[in-house]
This record gives sequence, C-alpha cells and structure tokens, in this order.
Amino acid sequence: MAYRAVRNTFLTTMAAVGALTIATGPAQAQVEIIAVMTPEQGTDFGWNQQGVDAARAAGEAMGVEVITAEGLGYGDVRPTLRELAGEGADLIIAHASGYNTAAPEVAHETGVAVAIVDTPEAVEPGLIADYTLSGHDGAYLAGILAANMSRTDTVGIVVSGEPPSWNSQSAGFALGARAANPDIDIIYAVIGPAAYADAAGGRRVTESVIAAGADIIFGQGNGSTFGMLQAIETTPAVDGEQAWFIDVIGDKSSIDTGFLLSSVVWDLEPVYTAMIDDLNNGDFGAVGYEIGLEDNSVVLLQTEYIPPATWTELMEVRQAIIDGAVDVPAIFDAQEVRALMTTVDASE
Amino acid sequence: MSGLLSDAFLISLVAGAIAAGIPLLLAGLGEQVSEKAGVLNIGIEGMMLLGAYTGFYVAFLSGSLWLGFLGGAAGGLILALLMALLCVRLGLNQIVIGIALTLGADGITALLHHVQFSRTYPRLPAVDTLPIPLLSQIPIIGPGIFDRHPSVYLAIIAVFVLVWVFRRTNVGLNLQAAGDKPAALDAAGVSVTTTRTLAVLFTGMMAGLGGAYMSMIGAGIFIPFMTGGAGFIAIVLAMLARGHPTWVLYGALLFGVSLSLTTALQVGGVNVPTDVVQMLPFAMVMLVLVIFARRSALPAALGLPYVRGQR
Repeated sequence: MAYRAVRNTFLTTMAAVGALTIATGPAQAQVEIIAVMTPEQGTDFGWNQQGVDAARAAGEAMGVEVITAEGLGYGDVRPTLRELAGEGADLIIAHASGYNTAAPEVAHETGVAVAIVDTPEAVEPGLIADYTLSGHDGAYLAGILAANMSRTDTVGIVVSGEPPSWNSQSAGFALGARAANPDIDIIYAVIGPAAYADAAGGRRVTESVIAAGADIIFGQGNGSTFGMLQAIETTPAVDGEQAWFIDVIGDKSSIDTGFLLSSVVWDLEPVYTAMIDDLNNGDFGAVGYEIGLEDNSVVLLQTEYIPPATWTELMEVRQAIIDGAVDVPAIFDAQEVRALMTTVDASE
Repeated sequence: MSGLLSDAFLISLVAGAIAAGIPLLLAGLGEQVSEKAGVLNIGIEGMMLLGAYTGFYVAFLSGSLWLGFLGGAAGGLILALLMALLCVRLGLNQIVIGIALTLGADGITALLHHVQFSRTYPRLPAVDTLPIPLLSQIPIIGPGIFDRHPSVYLAIIAVFVLVWVFRRTNVGLNLQAAGDKPAALDAAGVSVTTTRTLAVLFTGMMAGLGGAYMSMIGAGIFIPFMTGGAGFIAIVLAMLARGHPTWVLYGALLFGVSLSLTTALQVGGVNVPTDVVQMLPFAMVMLVLVIFARRSALPAALGLPYVRGQR
C-alpha cells in the first residue's frame, strides 16, 4: 500500500514536471559575459565612449561581465569577433556601422548573438539585433537653440558620414531651426563618405561653412569632430564674433575652451540593459530599441552660454515633444535630409 | 549671409585645397623617390600616421612647429628604418611588410594617444603665416595660396629640388638605375642596397613630414587613424606621376582643389548624392594623370628585391 502510494506520487510528480517542461520549452541560457567593440578608443567624448561606458554600466547593473575591444579601426574585425566569441561572450555589441557585415557573418559562424547598428533588415530572432538609434528629438531642440542664438541667421551642419542615426539628427536639427526661424539658412556639408577620423577634413570643411556665413555649427563626426572644434576655435564668424559648436552623443565640456554651446547627449545604458534582458528572455532580435527625451536617454546639454530664457523655452518644447504636442519625424534617408537644407545664394 | 561667391568663402576653399594637398605632396614625393629606386613603399600610410603623432607631440611639448616637423620626420624615419632593414637588406616582400608597418603604426599611435591625450585632446593654436609680398595681395588666390605657413612654400620648393636631383645629379642617376637596372648599378660599383636604403629613409622622412603637416597645421590636433588612407592616395599619385615630381605636385593640388570643390558643391546645394560628389577628387586625379602621364613607365625592377648575381 505504502509502495503504491509512493509510486503514484512519483509518477504524478514526473508527469507534472514533464508537462511543465513541454509547456515552457527549454530554459533560456542566462547572459554572463557581453563584449563591446568600438572602432576608436572609448575616450572620444562621443560615439565610442558612449558605447563603452554604457556597456560597462549595463554590465554592472545586470551583474554581467563586460569585455571591451576598443580602437579596432574601420577594417576587417572578423578575427576580433571570433576571439571575443572564443572568450565566452554571450553577446557581442558591434558598435560601428562598418561592422554590420562582419558581425552577422561571425554570428552565424559561432552562434554568438551580435548587436549591430544601421542595418535593421539584418535582424534574426535570437541571433542578430539592430539598435539603429535616433536622437532626433534632442537635435530638434538643438536646432531651436541654434536658430535663437545665431547672429547671422545662418547655421551649419557638418557630418563625417551619413549613417541613418546621424541623418535623423541632421533632419531634426534642421526642422527645429526652421520651426524657430522659418527664414534661417541651413548649410549642410559632408566631409567624406566615411571620414569619421578625418580631423583635418573636419577642420577644412567647417572653416568653409563658417566662411559661407554660419556662426553655429552642428557637428557629427567621431574623431573628426575635434577638427570641427579646432576650426570653431580658430575661425571667427563672418561678423567677426566667435562661432559656436553644438556636439552630439557625448559631453565635451571638460575640454571646452569657451566654444561649446551645447550637445545632444545620448545614454545607451537602457538600450544595452534591454538587450541583455531580451537575450535572457528569448526576445533578442525580435524587438527594436529606442532612445528619447522622456527617459533622459537623450538630453540637450545645458551650458553657461545658453541664456536662461532660451533654456526655459527649450524645456517647454521638450515637454511638448514628450506630451506628443510636437511631433518630430525621424528621417533616416540622406536624400530626404538634404532636401530639408537651404543653400548659400550664389548671387549674393 | 555672405554668399557662395564671397571672398571669405572662396579664400577658405583655396586655403582648404592647399591644406589637403600638401600632405599628399610631401608623401607623394617621398614615395616617388622610393619607387624610382625600385622599392614599392606600401608602408607610407603608417609612416605618415607615426609622423603625424610624433610631429604633433613634439610641437605640443615644445610649442614650436619647426621642432614638430623634425619630430614628424623622425617618426617617419623610424618606420622607414624597419622597412629598409626588412625589405632592402633582408629582401622580404615589400607589400606584406608595408601593410604590416601600417597596421603596426595604427596600433601604436592609437595606444600612445590613448595614454597621453585621450582625456584632454589638446589642440594647437592657429599657425602664423608668411605672406609673400605682392603675390599675397592678389584677390582670393593671394590670401589662399601666398599667405600660408612657410612649410607650404618649402614643400613646393622641394618639388623643384627633386626635379633637379633626378635630372642633373649622380644621385638621381643612381636612383634611376637602382629601380630600372640594379645589376648595372652594381656593376658600376655603386651599392644597390645602400642606394635603396637611403631612398626608403628619405621616403619615411617625407611621409613623416606630410603626416606632421596634417596633424599640426591641417587639423591642429592628433586623432588616431587620422590619415585615413592619405598614404595610399600618395602612392597612387606617385605611381601615376611615374617619376615626374611636378606631376605629383599637380596631382596633389588637383586632389586638394577637388576636395574643396566637393565642399563648394555641397554648400551650394547641388542636388546630387553626396557619395557622387565625394568621388570627384579620386576620379579627377586618376583621369587627369592617366591621360597626361600615360607615356611614362614605372621602374622595371619595382618591388623586386635585389640579390647580386641573381636574374
């Protein structure tokens, strides 16, 4: 009798466990190690630093080990990807648009999940996720700021390439500037097809844009940004007064010499944290990622050079964007971005 | 708004063309000497980058651009010594070694920058210029070309010094022979190895100067990977110029002018894709040099190590 009771209990328990297993499927492996790869050192006060810092912060928050591979350049990173996979990374964040061909290849080869940028069409559930992000809401605020503070009614946008994330910010800046001053002229210049580290090119092009009348430059360029900053510091605007610089992604206040008006600062930690969560939950590659004003993953940097009244106005617009009263479209296509710009009048 | 045809804008375009062209000119002249002697110096990109770093570093520490140029030349020379040792003395593959040196320079300069400057990103102040009397008064072109840092004038003078060396001196003849008929040079009692070694060292020095110009004057700052393939463009210029220093000058200036033209087209709002506009410098330089320099020939022994008695 006792034997039968024990046997029945055992069989019932086994059946219940079996049913539960069938119902929930195999258990998801927990992420223990993530790796982040950047083309330049994570100390550029911009894209690369944001990638590295955010990965470390996300790792700390989630109790995950973080391996960083910085300064990898813009060439073939397949050996590094394989090495990181070999070191046990459960997720490799390939933090450069130039890596979005190699990373998926190595993901297929090794089975290690990768996160890439600027290639949403490459996503594969469980293996490849895209985190093409846009700070266009913040750039819209920067555009309003620039239009309000421009003395020459001409602002410039200088970029070292046209990846989707930057295109949407260029568009956001132009829309914001136009909203604040419909008559403002917006000059747009690309340094090169992928001139991310071309500091000399950044300086050369920025000097020309300033000479064409712009007194505020919205610059997006990784390493080339420092060339833009150098041009701002050494080239007065056409009215003889100083020009101003508005940066993106990072905060260069600590190295500013009096020319940094603001920056559209990103925080990628929520994105990377969500990625780890998604990988743990089996949603990786099936969901998208966003940054924005509401959770402060995009903020406009306040500096001492922005008048208080202007800042108050900017914060009102920020709230209006969050509330949905102001809609800033995310425009990722380069052709559409260029269509938003005005040009310098050759007849003048 | 000042307008597309304002003096300030046009002067900035001319000055920009010079700023972009001078590093290519210096590196291209160096590459030409190396190629003339029979050594294809693929490592010139790395030599430029190391020169850019050492030049900026010395200028930043000393406050002197001239010392910076010395530092830049020394930086290029260090890599050139390795190139000479491995390719000329030991006869290793010039392309493989050149690529290895470039990758090595990428890494070492990025590391040094990370250690020294990555938290501060120091910038150099605007450079002093030397206006040439009368010429600098010419509208647009005057301030754009004849009111530059003296190193610009010296770079252009170097072109004509090299023309003279190639045409009028034994050194020029030796270089030509080392590249075309090294066995004949050897038979004449001149060391091919020494001739090629000196040529490679000169190349490194010139590439280092080009890199130093780029970081100190072109950008005013050093950034890892900042040469961005300029060394490879210099190789193309030198190969297409095929032994004529003046063609390197034309090619470098044409490249610089084309870059400025791309800026002008964009600022002017020409409605074509940016990628097409950005191709312009490369397409123009190749087209012009291929058309006008096609009769010249590259050295017969270019890229081949010399071993006495071996055919």
